[in-house]
Amino acid sequence: MTTTSRVAQTAPPAGRKNPTSAAGTVRSKSRIDPTYYWMVVPVLALFAFFITLPALVGVFFSLTNYAGYGDWKFIGLMNYVNIFKDPAVLQSYVFTFMFALTTTVVVNVVALAIALGLNAKIKWRTGIRTVFFIPMVLSALIVSFVFNYLFSNTLPVLAERFGVTPLATSILANENLAWLAIVLVTVWQAAPGATIIYLAGLQSVPSEVYEAADLDGAGSFRQFISLTLPLILGYLVINVILGFKGFLGTYEIIVGLTGGGPGMATQSVAMRIFSGFTGGDYSYQMANAVIYFLITLLISVIQLRLIQRRGVSL
Amino acid sequence: MAGRTAAERRLSFQPFTRLLQRSNCEPHPEALPARTAGAAPPPPHVSRCPVNASVPGSLPSRRTLLRAAGLAGAALMVPLSGCGATPAAQNGVTTLRFMQNKPEVVDYFNQVIKDFEALNADIRVVQDFNEGNFVPGLVRNDPPDVVTRGFAQATADFVKKGIFADLSDMPVANTIDPKMQELINSWGQYNGSEISALPFSLAAAGVIYNRDIFEAHGVSVPTTWDGFVAACEKFKAAGIAPIYGTYKDPWTLAQGMFDYASGGTLDVAEFFTKLNAKGARVTKDSAESFANNFGPALPKMLQLASFSQNGAASKNYADGNAAFAKGQAAMYLQGPWALSQLVAANKDIRLGTFPLPATNNPAETKARVNVDMALSITRNTPNMAAARRFVNYLLEPSVVNTYNEKNAAFSPLKDAPAVSNAHITGLNAAVAEARYFQGAVTYFPPSVPVNNYIQSFVYSKNGEQFLAALDDEWRRVAERTAV
Repeated sequence: MTTTSRVAQTAPPAGRKNPTSAAGTVRSKSRIDPTYYWMVVPVLALFAFFITLPALVGVFFSLTNYAGYGDWKFIGLMNYVNIFKDPAVLQSYVFTFMFALTTTVVVNVVALAIALGLNAKIKWRTGIRTVFFIPMVLSALIVSFVFNYLFSNTLPVLAERFGVTPLATSILANENLAWLAIVLVTVWQAAPGATIIYLAGLQSVPSEVYEAADLDGAGSFRQFISLTLPLILGYLVINVILGFKGFLGTYEIIVGLTGGGPGMATQSVAMRIFSGFTGGDYSYQMANAVIYFLITLLISVIQLRLIQRRGVSL
Repeated sequence: MAGRTAAERRLSFQPFTRLLQRSNCEPHPEALPARTAGAAPPPPHVSRCPVNASVPGSLPSRRTLLRAAGLAGAALMVPLSGCGATPAAQNGVTTLRFMQNKPEVVDYFNQVIKDFEALNADIRVVQDFNEGNFVPGLVRNDPPDVVTRGFAQATADFVKKGIFADLSDMPVANTIDPKMQELINSWGQYNGSEISALPFSLAAAGVIYNRDIFEAHGVSVPTTWDGFVAACEKFKAAGIAPIYGTYKDPWTLAQGMFDYASGGTLDVAEFFTKLNAKGARVTKDSAESFANNFGPALPKMLQLASFSQNGAASKNYADGNAAFAKGQAAMYLQGPWALSQLVAANKDIRLGTFPLPATNNPAETKARVNVDMALSITRNTPNMAAARRFVNYLLEPSVVNTYNEKNAAFSPLKDAPAVSNAHITGLNAAVAEARYFQGAVTYFPPSVPVNNYIQSFVYSKNGEQFLAALDDEWRRVAERTAV
């Protein structure tokens, strides 16, 4: 230990003549330590075996009429053609995208507002922060079952007592409003994660710029629009992108709240795909999964390019 | 977290640690915007984590360690591919795997197995009540030897694919009521004449009613639709919810008002036979369509819905059991599976069941039945002889009749004694005269979310749209499975 630390201390002066970085590259070119391979290869093998291989098997079976068991044969692209003719599947796509868009907007507005509040010098800041982050550590399924109870039993009873007739029946039973309940619970659950990222962003803004703005006579709203928002734009982009991608795969909150109902009103794409496993519709929903994968891949690529452009221009 | 990716999780944790200690060993590429927002880039010598530079002497041991870890990982994978058929016969004792579909009767079958093993020293039976294992077992080509399943579309599909052995030459097959056997055979027989499953238990469903409430209001069990409506009006006028509705669980609407109303006004089995024959060519204008056959049932469904309590849309099956057990409604459109729950919630409740009269001709009143347990032997079992002996034993009157008597169900044997359980005696006549039908929803392939469509109809009351949607769904599934 002592020798290494002494080397570390003496190295910088030596580095002025022979840059250490150059020496490092020479060494790595000559021989890469096999330890790195030992670290990467098992993970790669596990990933390939448990994720990549099943995915490829799924793609393969999407070209067949396999029910998950028994005989099957190739049917070409028939499954893909049929999906585009299936209004129930198309409706699930429309619902999922509308839901993801709405939720992303609401989550980010709410999270930014909370982050601004928690970043201000308020009393008991640490304690309040903890309270706001609790939803993040709760399982989404448990959260949605609790909210399910609130929406179905508590809220109608309260609404009836105070004479708010539109709320007297559960909004989960209303085909036009059930999605709002799902958005609400998702926001409740997802906002803390986004808030943490915003808090990190807000803390990276140096206080000098606000002092300067104060001297120039900018009000707090102006400061927010002209200083805070541009300075944390990178965080906003990350939150929007990751949030949108996550909400596209929404599943367990819907299962816990409405189960896709009432009627067909809140069926997400992920739910339709999963129904193929129980429904003997394996190959058909596999085709659906492949299409969905391609769509999310496209969105991810666009978003990644956006991130990179942001990173450069800011 | 709702469908969050690993990358997102990593991201959301990283700034959090920064909040706490503001020190980071490696530059997270994801956190690039942080640097652009004014933070100075970390000095280069900090950014490289000194993985092997700090401990050069310990490298070989680390390498062996990692190698060992890699080998352990590989060893973990071996059993995954190595599992499969295990030798079933050891020391002359054959081990049978018996998979049954009702976790609540495990104890009964444990006793049955014990008695069977006492009589057959050369067979050991292992009970498995995890029905979810059946399809994976088929995929692994390692299914159980003897299976009980609820018989409906999914099991009929297994029959069509030849999963089960032919039981028609077993002597016990002749002791079974042919009309009950027909409930299974009507779904289609493998190779035209094979008997792939023998009924073990028949569940009959109708209207569960609270005898105390009926007696208190002087209402007798209705035998016609008009009589039923009159009884409902009478309860309603007395301030009692005639029927307890649990619309939040769509399956309760499906097996309740939809099956009862359609089964009572239509020959469901015949309808689906014709519909299946028509296949992908069905449109809403063809004579076989839902639109042209289910019309008369829909107004009855809506009338049943109008007799439900207020706020039925927010109640689920568990709420319904609790409320009905407390006497909050006179009737409950549920099957025998609810009876034990109701009694568990209120042991003093006096219950009965009658078949819903969907027409004004009492002779046409039918009960909804389903073959709750049907016995099958998987075709490729290496223990065929032992499996047949076990099935033979299960269908002995002392086993099968006792089971059904205990579980509020009907025995499939020809000369079974009449049911004496007061909860279901009201269905005796209908079952004895074979005035029964299998629920329409049980004929749907699971890929059609028929329950949700029914729920949608009950809310929107738009029958035309509902039936057109069913026709469309049916056609699409037929199209893609016909290939």
